[in-house]
Amino acid sequence: MPNSPSPLDGPADGLAAASALRAIADRLEDAEVERAMRAGWSWSQVAEALGVTRQAVHKKHLRRLLMAQIELRRRNGE
Amino acid sequence: MNRLFTPHRGAPLLVAWGIPAGVSEQFVFEARRDGAKAIEAEHMLLALAASSDGDAAKVLHEVGLDHERLASALKEERRRTLAFVGMKELNKEVPAATELESPLSLGTSAKAAMKRAFIGARHERRRVHLRSTDLLAGILEAELGTVPRALAIAGIDIAALASRAWGFKVMRSEC
Repeated sequence: MPNSPSPLDGPADGLAAASALRAIADRLEDAEVERAMRAGWSWSQVAEALGVTRQAVHKKHLRRLLMAQIELRRRNGE
Repeated sequence: MNRLFTPHRGAPLLVAWGIPAGVSEQFVFEARRDGAKAIEAEHMLLALAASSDGDAAKVLHEVGLDHERLASALKEERRRTLAFVGMKELNKEVPAATELESPLSLGTSAKAAMKRAFIGARHERRRVHLRSTDLLAGILEAELGTVPRALAIAGIDIAALASRAWGFKVMRSEC
């Protein structure tokens, strides 16, 4: 096992790619949740499409959606 | 796209640590321009390179690293990284999400660079007085991650550059 592995090649490339993909996935999720809510999707529909709970989507995205001044559907109006 | 040029809020923590407000605002500018959610070491490096009168910029320019060349190296690092999994950049048709107007925090690589800079500065001068060259050296001492990958791609001797940054004689008080 090398003490100072190369920052390029081998595991370094794969690990850098994993990190980059995570950032891309986060950015894509932010953008698409916003787009869905603008299009009138409910929290539950977004959650189901993402494969997570409604609470998880709410917690992660509510602040940004409010800042974007998107009209959000109430739970009983789903 | 407004996303790239929203007003620079914050990074008050950096100012509290002795980084001049103008420099920390440039960190935030570079991070926002990159669409990042936190300030990372590469954003600090780009900001230091862009500083027209900073000693860190002088050290970088000695080996031909100006903002443009660094940005190009980081772009190539990004291309190579995504190519590893057969990907290109995110489709441009994907809209940008609304940006939260909260101050950007320091990412892990930036915190690590700051920590190395403080430890190095204290070791060298037995007091905490951070110079731009200390911060540059702290950034350059990372062995793995985006910055060392980009600089390796650019053919830069990173260890020699870090050594030069630590040893740079400051002619006047700055950063």
